[in-house]
Amino acid sequence: MLREMAVAAISTSQLTKDYGAGRGLFDLGLHVSQQEVFGYLGPNGSGKTTTIRLLMGMIRPTNGSAHVFGLDCVRDAMEVKRKVGYLPGDIPQFGSLRGDEVVAYLGGMRGGVDRRHVRAIAERFDLDLNRRFREYSSGNKQKLGILLAFMHRPELLILDEPTSGLDPLNQQEFYELLRETRAGGATIFLSSHVLSEVEHVCDRVGILRRGRLVKVAELGELTRIRVHHVEVEFAPGEEVPAERLRAAEGVEDLSVEGQRLRCTVHGNFDALLEAISGSRVIDLVSTEPSLEEFFLSFFGEPKPKALPS
Amino acid sequence: MIGIVFGLRLGRWGVVGFSLAGLLLVFAQTAGFYQVAGTTPGARAAFGSAMATLAAQLVALFPPPLRPDTAGGYAEFRGFHPLAVLFAVWALASATGFARGDEERGVVEAALATGTSRIALIASRTVGFALAVTVASAAAAAGFLIGVASGHETAAVQGVVEEAALLAVIGVACYTLSLFVAQMAGPRLATAAAGTLLLALFLDNSLSRAMSSLTAWRWLSPFRYYDLSQPLPPGGHFDARAFLVLIGISVLATAAAAAAFMRRDLGASLIRLPSIPHRPSYDVTAAPWWGVAVARGLYERRLGLLAWSAGMAVMALSFVALTKTIVQVLLSIPSLLPYLSIFVHQQLYPAVLGYTWFNVAELMFAAFAITYVARWSAEDSDGRLEIFLSQPLSRAGIVLERMAVLAAGAVLIAAVSGAVLFYASHQQGIDLNAQRLTAASLMLVPFALVFAGAGSLLAAWNPRAAVGLLGAFAFASYLDTELGTIYKFPVWLLDLSAFKLFGAPLLNGVNGRNLALMLLLALAGIGSSILAIQRRDVGA
Ligand SMILES: Nc1ncnc2c1ncn2[C@@H]1O[C@H](COP(=O)(O)OP(=O)(O)O)[C@@H](O)[C@H]1O
Ligand SMILES: [Mg+2]
Repeated sequence: MLREMAVAAISTSQLTKDYGAGRGLFDLGLHVSQQEVFGYLGPNGSGKTTTIRLLMGMIRPTNGSAHVFGLDCVRDAMEVKRKVGYLPGDIPQFGSLRGDEVVAYLGGMRGGVDRRHVRAIAERFDLDLNRRFREYSSGNKQKLGILLAFMHRPELLILDEPTSGLDPLNQQEFYELLRETRAGGATIFLSSHVLSEVEHVCDRVGILRRGRLVKVAELGELTRIRVHHVEVEFAPGEEVPAERLRAAEGVEDLSVEGQRLRCTVHGNFDALLEAISGSRVIDLVSTEPSLEEFFLSFFGEPKPKALPS
Repeated sequence: MIGIVFGLRLGRWGVVGFSLAGLLLVFAQTAGFYQVAGTTPGARAAFGSAMATLAAQLVALFPPPLRPDTAGGYAEFRGFHPLAVLFAVWALASATGFARGDEERGVVEAALATGTSRIALIASRTVGFALAVTVASAAAAAGFLIGVASGHETAAVQGVVEEAALLAVIGVACYTLSLFVAQMAGPRLATAAAGTLLLALFLDNSLSRAMSSLTAWRWLSPFRYYDLSQPLPPGGHFDARAFLVLIGISVLATAAAAAAFMRRDLGASLIRLPSIPHRPSYDVTAAPWWGVAVARGLYERRLGLLAWSAGMAVMALSFVALTKTIVQVLLSIPSLLPYLSIFVHQQLYPAVLGYTWFNVAELMFAAFAITYVARWSAEDSDGRLEIFLSQPLSRAGIVLERMAVLAAGAVLIAAVSGAVLFYASHQQGIDLNAQRLTAASLMLVPFALVFAGAGSLLAAWNPRAAVGLLGAFAFASYLDTELGTIYKFPVWLLDLSAFKLFGAPLLNGVNGRNLALMLLLALAGIGSSILAIQRRDVGA
């Protein structure tokens, strides 16, 4: 317990990887405690993968340093990797190897893989290991990548956009696996470009933009700052309570078109629900804005033109 | 195998590289002619007959030269014929790279999605390669003209143009045939199947010069139609009909490839094996070799190793079978008899066999090393290296494991082919010195390691350029020995060439100094590649 207090699972200071032309990662100071689930959120090209590669010792920082369980990510890369399970952003080609051979190959390099644990994960994702990698769909490739990251019950999981390519059912299964793993004492660091996804599972969220960490928020705080587009359709003949809504806290950008009302809701839905209670509503749709729109409302900055991916 | 394709395919680098290779090789051989052939008619005639001896030993590979006492005849024999083989390999790599490598990586799918038809795709790639090989052939022809100019002679322009056209068209024929085969075979087999076909067609023609049983079949081989013309030397000839046959082969093969491509699914072969009933499983294999450092690499490459061993065994068999014929040809030239007996005494058969076999084995082992380097580069650029490195392995450990896998594979191939050579020649009544043969065969392993070490360094430095640069390095090493004696290179420069260091161990025994130098070169490559990969960004 004492150790857990003392050593952060991940800590970086002034971590920088400069690819020139303003690209890369700059001055990252990040602390992730043990047994925490940390969501690393940012649009495409914001530097998530760069951060993760720095943590894994794949690339060298231009400046600053990164530590995992107190171990230096460059100097003690071997020790770090013993403790870490890693899911890369893109699963590489393993051509004609079968799924079980890929697991045995990488497991053999690592040593000490629990075969029963592997079987359990393969079963819960319904991943047939008796097929050639070439024949896997992209979802199955992603499942295999997840299996490879979890196979040795690592203390820290570093997952780069882990749910990309998974269907909703498998995504739920994956969140369940994360919760169990965390309950088992592991720390999880996962990147994503979808706000709602990290909300599902994360204790804290770090938000990255153009290579800089712009905010670290607790889950509760996130709910307060988040935004939804809401569309409400009132029953024919029903009066649209536009004035009450305009006055409601957190409701903005309101527009009415016949029986349809559109608005943006900041924070929670309490005020909105109260304002429309008593009216007959036949349809209510709430959509999450893209991260870009979120930034726009959050920072009040103009939306950047197409970001490099 | 897919790897080498990936490396050699490199569109524009292919054109630049092979054009340079063609220019340099032909120029160096032509200019070299004036250095060694002498100036008086007598000296030239003596040189010509010495060349005829050499040619007789190589009759299984190249047709006997016409007028090797002239720059044209000599350049055609030592420059253009080897270049035709080199261009055939280029064609193979390009064709299977397009047909299968690009398809694996989704490039073909993306191209088709833009609305390009399949026929147009096949046609445009074929035309693209035809242009590339024409440029490279023109470069080779330019090399000849510059070489001739260096000897203050002039060449007949018509012969030069015909020679270049011939070189280009044999390249295109090989390309289209490979393209067709690649459509039929599955992605894993495309290169192997097309390579086997080209090799079979090549041997069908070249072995038919020594084995009369094959003459009935040589009409099948495009190389036969290449052979029918020798336009470069004075009194040479250009067979227009044979040239048209080569063009016909290319057109037909392109049409067949397009037809096959239209009929098959993307990512599948036209010929489908019935699928084995599939039983799902969630278990990891319990096979023990995956946990053992070098064993897993060998197991992963087992099919390739099998193919290399079998291929080299078959080659050893055919070289043994040819030796007697070759020696008979040599002995039937009365003027050569004193020359032969002075140089090799009783050991005529082992000398000829050792010379021909180990010359080819050297090339094959260099190629073997290059395929491994291609694989390493592919692992690097497609993300497998990143996932290997996410396991607790050091970068140095990965480099060393790769080397060990390559060395073990080379030992296997050397042992198999050496054993086959020994027993087959014993059957023929040629008794090779077992100890010497063992030593000579094993000498191929450090030889391959020299190239692997250089390749490892290149792959650590720039994986995308590694295969091309290593090919150039191998080519330069080869030229170094070819030209070193002609131009009297300093010893240290010759010692950089693994081909020179390999020497003729079957005849002369293993030279300890040369072996040590080879190991030193290999170690230097491995050591510097370990240093280089430590500082490299991986996966970026
Ligand atoms: N090897 C590289 N060379 C140059 N620029 C790079 C390299 N890798 C990433 N970048 C740039 O760094 C930025 C961050 O990339 P990345 O970390 O992959 O973003 P994310 O994973 O958040 O989508 C992008 O602008 C990308 O173009
Ligand atoms: Mg990324």
